[in-house]
Amino acid sequence: MTPILEGFLYVLHPLHFPFLAVGVTLGIIVGALPGLTASVGIILLLPFVFYLDVSTAMVMLCGAFCGGIYGGSITAILISTPGTPSAAATVLDGYPLAQKGEAGKAIGVATIASTSGGIISTFCLMFFAPKLARIALEFGPEEYFALTVFGLTVIASVAGKSLTKGLISGFFGLLIATVGIDPVEGYARYSFGIPNLMAGFSLLPVLIGLFAISQIFVQMEMVGKKVKKYDQKIGRILPSASELKKLFFIIISSSFLGTFIGIIPGTGGAIASFLAYNEAKRWAKDPDSFGKGNIAGIAAPEAANNGTTGGAMVPLLTLGIPGDVVTAVMLGCLLLIGVRPGPLLFKESPEVVNAVFAGLLLANVLILFLGVLSVRIFPKVLRIPPSILFPIIFTLCFLGAFSLSNSTYDMFIALVFGIIGYIMQKNGFPAAPVVLGVILGPIAEDVLARALIISHGDWTTLFKSPISIFFYVISTASVIYSLRRQFVAKKA
Amino acid sequence: MTLSVTPIAGKLMGIIEIIIGACLMVLSVVFYGITFQFPKQTLAFSPKVFPRFVSTCLFIISAILVIQGIMAFRKRSPDEHAKLAIDKAFLTRLLFGILIGYTYTQLLPITGYIVATPPFIAGIMIIFNEKRWIRTGLCALITTSVLYILFRIIFKVPLPRFSLF
Repeated sequence: MTPILEGFLYVLHPLHFPFLAVGVTLGIIVGALPGLTASVGIILLLPFVFYLDVSTAMVMLCGAFCGGIYGGSITAILISTPGTPSAAATVLDGYPLAQKGEAGKAIGVATIASTSGGIISTFCLMFFAPKLARIALEFGPEEYFALTVFGLTVIASVAGKSLTKGLISGFFGLLIATVGIDPVEGYARYSFGIPNLMAGFSLLPVLIGLFAISQIFVQMEMVGKKVKKYDQKIGRILPSASELKKLFFIIISSSFLGTFIGIIPGTGGAIASFLAYNEAKRWAKDPDSFGKGNIAGIAAPEAANNGTTGGAMVPLLTLGIPGDVVTAVMLGCLLLIGVRPGPLLFKESPEVVNAVFAGLLLANVLILFLGVLSVRIFPKVLRIPPSILFPIIFTLCFLGAFSLSNSTYDMFIALVFGIIGYIMQKNGFPAAPVVLGVILGPIAEDVLARALIISHGDWTTLFKSPISIFFYVISTASVIYSLRRQFVAKKA
Repeated sequence: MTLSVTPIAGKLMGIIEIIIGACLMVLSVVFYGITFQFPKQTLAFSPKVFPRFVSTCLFIISAILVIQGIMAFRKRSPDEHAKLAIDKAFLTRLLFGILIGYTYTQLLPITGYIVATPPFIAGIMIIFNEKRWIRTGLCALITTSVLYILFRIIFKVPLPRFSLF
């Protein structure tokens, strides 16, 4: 039996498939709900996946990831507010089409395009990931250190509008990561004799605080402000055969574009969807119709942003480097459930990798069914009052933080990082580099220590390998790119 | 939905950048200073190397942020005075939200999940402008029960129990 078929049999097993379905459903709902993102959906699932076996947990998280990215398009179409940053381009044509009374068709096109994008990108993942993992198996500690530097620099330089703030976030995360037992001599750093600090800051409360609790504080700012609601008719859901035929090339090309963009760390769905939208408009026979409810303007960004899901999983699974904010959260979640992404994952746990491949493919098929079947339910979901939704989310956040080690100390840490996350958001500091710093900090220190111990303290060993130099060069390039982008933005 | 917070801009952002940058500079100095208490190096790599590297980098970048803040503060024309429009109602909500959250974390180990959770949910609902008392009470009780069933019974996730000690 081929390994991928084993993956399918595993995911389709009656004991495992419901978890995928729950993951996708929760992802779609959370992605569509006001104030919540795909990252929050994945974090809220964590307390439950702790108690599942690794493959099932991975499949459930992948379902929530794909569902969350797709879910963002629903609010973009219905109330002109993207549920996730990836769906920002979908607003341009999705909302005008909804205003014409064709919201159903807009969501139908978005669903078909998202499914196609997700499936194509998963096939690319299945093709590229094992090859890249084989190359990465040759990496020594020097190369791994350069890789972690690359991962941190790329996310820090592109995550926010300011390079300085992005780098500060990254180094703040690294500083937090130094609290606790050091990986070489086992010395408890910055613990001041407090037992809880000796273990350092657990990743889960940090994630919950920075991404979920901070969002609740943000929503407190919205209390009393008018919230958009969709009250028009949904209309026909599926596009006609001739419309689908017209969209075929756009969906396929945007899916590949999204996959390619997703593979590049630090890019993400938002960039992919706008690029795909621009390309679709550029090659269209009627570019003037874009922005007025052209279905190609929905299909292109949706195919591209779901295309990034498989693409972003390539560096995540093979190198342990996330492609964007959501995959940074995914990386944290994988580490928490005991999965260390990297080339060894392909060698030591192929069954987990195959389950992920199958899970991603089936998650996208589920999106097609759930998306089409529940189009008429979405406007009702959007009517859930914030006064009911956010107290429930707040409670889930606290219980999630508690569940890690049955400690109310972790709940307190989540609250503290919620406050820090809110202050960061308010002042333009991106949160993703902090998480990456916390995750990659111990890894970077560990591989740096190994490299230096092997070389008897010779620091030049870090710059001897061509692969290391390659990573340092692209890290520098990402910083220069970010500086140039800031310069151009200031000039404009 | 990505509803972003009201951004801070102009002169006010400059002041905030100076404050945050200065705080981080102090933090990095403290972290660096504490490394002198770490044990002496026995291997090619000691526990103080990484924290020193990170705190030095953080110090330098924070200093750059402070300089950027000063430049932003000076750059603005004199008539462009950023007004610190504090939404007092929001600030009260935020502080009460944090206080209720903190109280919940402290009460849970003493009273247990079932006793501490309904008042917590009700408190946050009130912060979110829920004025109907019956709806608040019912929602608090139903949510507590549903989450209990979900965590404790379905997923077997332990929840804090009542304990006097």
